[in-house]
Amino acid sequence: MKIKKILIANRGEIAIRIIRTARTLKIKTVVIKTAAEPNAMYLSHADEIFDYNEETAEIPVFLDIEKLIEIALTTGANAIHPGYGFLAENAYFADKCLDNKIAFIGPSPDSIYKMGNKTIARKIALANKIPIAMGSEGNITNEEEAIAIAEKIGYPVIIKAASGGGGRGMRIVRNIEEMERLFSIASKEAEKAFKDPSVFIEKYIENPKHIEFQILGDKKGNVIHLGERECSIQRKHQKLLEEAPSCALDDKLREKMGSTAVRIAKAVGYYSAGTVEFLLDSEKNFYFMEMNTRIQVEHPVTEVITGIDLIEQQIRIANGEELKMKQEDIKLKGWAIECRINAENVQACFAPDPGKIENMQLPSGPHIRIDTGVQPGSSIVANFDSMIAKIIVSGKDRKEAIKNCKLALDKVWIKGTKTTLPFFRMLVRNQKFLDGTFTTAFIEKDLDKYYYNSEYEEMLAAWLATKLFVEENLQENSIQIDFENTKNLSPWLLNKRINQF
Amino acid sequence: MNNLKIKKLYALSSENKKFSFSLPLSNKIRIGKRDYVVSLRSDEKYGTYILWKNRKYPVEVVRSRQNKYEILFNDISYTFTVETPFSLKRMKMLSLKKGKAELEVIKAPMPGKLIDILVREGSEILRGEPLVILEAMKMQNEILSPVNGTVSKIIAKPNTNVMKDDILIEIKVK
Repeated sequence: MKIKKILIANRGEIAIRIIRTARTLKIKTVVIKTAAEPNAMYLSHADEIFDYNEETAEIPVFLDIEKLIEIALTTGANAIHPGYGFLAENAYFADKCLDNKIAFIGPSPDSIYKMGNKTIARKIALANKIPIAMGSEGNITNEEEAIAIAEKIGYPVIIKAASGGGGRGMRIVRNIEEMERLFSIASKEAEKAFKDPSVFIEKYIENPKHIEFQILGDKKGNVIHLGERECSIQRKHQKLLEEAPSCALDDKLREKMGSTAVRIAKAVGYYSAGTVEFLLDSEKNFYFMEMNTRIQVEHPVTEVITGIDLIEQQIRIANGEELKMKQEDIKLKGWAIECRINAENVQACFAPDPGKIENMQLPSGPHIRIDTGVQPGSSIVANFDSMIAKIIVSGKDRKEAIKNCKLALDKVWIKGTKTTLPFFRMLVRNQKFLDGTFTTAFIEKDLDKYYYNSEYEEMLAAWLATKLFVEENLQENSIQIDFENTKNLSPWLLNKRINQF
Repeated sequence: MNNLKIKKLYALSSENKKFSFSLPLSNKIRIGKRDYVVSLRSDEKYGTYILWKNRKYPVEVVRSRQNKYEILFNDISYTFTVETPFSLKRMKMLSLKKGKAELEVIKAPMPGKLIDILVREGSEILRGEPLVILEAMKMQNEILSPVNGTVSKIIAKPNTNVMKDDILIEIKVK
C-alpha cells in the first residue's frame, strides 16, 4: 500500500513541516480545522481541510483516537502522521491505524509501547548491557518504598513518570523531607498527564549534558544514526536551544554513543525516525535516559548538518522502502543551532504569555531556516503550546553558527506577546555558552539574569515613559495631574497617539 | 501645584534606577559629549518603534495607570513611575515614614488552575517554602514564598481557575 494521502493529526509548525515534504513527494495532505484555531496558518498549506466543529467535544480532536480514524477514513487518507506531542507516542493509536489499514507514519505499536513505558525500557536496556543510571527495578507505588530506594542508591534521585516524557511528572529530590513533599506531586502530575500514576526512581546525575542521537531504521532491520544533538539548554526539562553536533563529543565518543543508540533501537525492532536520549556526565560517562519514538521538535538541526529530510525518510520507511544510506554515508557537515521562540515572559520565570501576534518579521538568508506555524494576526492560544517559531541558524563551525545566530536574533521582530528572544540574545553573549561548558543546570545555576539588553535600552524606555507622561499630563508646562482618575491605555493606542505629535 | 513651573521629570524604574529628563522634553539625548536623536515612529511594516543610532527597536505600552507605565522595549518589559521634583520629594518623605512594606501579596504569575493550597491562614512560613500548586500549560508549578512571615489571608480556592495577577495569598512579613 503506497501512501497517497496523509491525514496530519497535528497543528502548528509541524503540520506545515510535514506538508512541505509531502508536497515534494507528490502526496496529498489533510489537516483538521478546530474551534480553538479556526484561522490557523497550517490550514492554508494543506490540500484539504476537514472542518471539525464539535465544540462540545471533551478532548481536543488531536487526542481523540476514534475521531481521527474516522476522519482519515472519511477523507480517504491512507496514512496518518502524528507529528510530535498529542498521540505521537501512543501505541494504541498506532495499532488502531493499522487495524483500519491506515499507515501510521512512525514506528510499530510494539516499539512505541516498549520505549514509552520507562520501566520496560529500563529492563530492555539492562538486558542489552546499555549503560543506565542506578535506580528502582520497577514502578514505585508509595512514599515509603521511594524513601527506601533513595536511601539505598543515595540522594539526589529523580522521580520520573513511567509513561512520561517532556519533563512532566519529573522531580529531583535531594533529601527525605523533599521526598515526602514531591513524591505525591510527581505521581499526581503523572496521572493527570499520562493517565498513569506509576513512577520510578533513578539516581540523579548532577550537572550532566543532554546528548541525544537521531536514529533511522527501516522495516528490513537496518538501523543507522545521524549523529547527535546537544539539548542541555533547558529549563524544567523543557528544551530551549538545541545544536548539532555537540562540542562535548569527539569522533570516538560519537561512534561509541551512536552505536549504543543503534543497539537499543535494534533491541525493540525499531523502524522510522527516533531519538535515543543520553545523559553525559563530566567524566564523559554516558547513561541511557529514554527513547522518543517520534519526530522531535529539534529535528531540523540534524537535517541541516546531514542534508537528510527526516520527514521524507519517515514516509519512505512507512511505505516499506529500504534505507538508501548506510552508516558510513552519513557525514556531519558544519554546525546548526535552533532557538525556540516561544510566547513566554523571560522576566517572569518563562510564564506563558498567550496573545495575538500583531506584527512579525523574520530574517532570511543562506544560513537561516525558519519553521513556524504563525503569521501576523495569528493567536498563541492557551490550549496549545506556546511556540511561535524555530529559528535554525547554521555555520561552518560552532563559532560561525553562533555569530550568524546573533545577527539573526536581532532581525526577529515580534509584537503582541512577550517572547524568549531576550533570553537567546543573552545566551549568544554568555561566556559559558560560548565555551560550550554548560550543562542542564545552566539556566538554574549559572545565570542571574535571563535576558540581554544593550546599554541604552532602559534609558530609551524611560524616555518613552516620560514622553507619554508629558503628553498626557503637562500642557504648556503647567501640571494637571488627576491622581484620582485611572487611565487605561491600550497598548495599541500608542500607534494613534504618536501620530498626533 | 497648578501652574507650577516644572523643569525636570524623573522616570524611576522598579529597581529604583533614576533617569532624569529636562523639560521641555527634547528628542536629543546626550551621551558623553555627543547628542543622539531618538525618535518614536510608526509605519505599516513594523508598527510602532523607536529609532536610535540607525537601529529600530520595537516598543509597546503594555500598561499605563496614573503616572506608572509598563513599556515593552525590544521585547523586555520595564516599569517606570514618572515623577516631578515635587512628587519625588513627597515620595521620599512618605517612604521614610512608612518603612518597609508589611504585607506581601502573592499573585498568580500566570493564568492556570489552582491545584492545591499548601498553607493555612495563620501558618508560619519561611522564604522559599511552597505555598500553592498552580497548573499552567500542563506543568504543575509550585509557587514559593518570597518572604518569611505568617499567612494572614487565603483568597484563592483550590480547584479553581485563576487569571494572571489574581491575588492568591497575603502574607504578613516578619
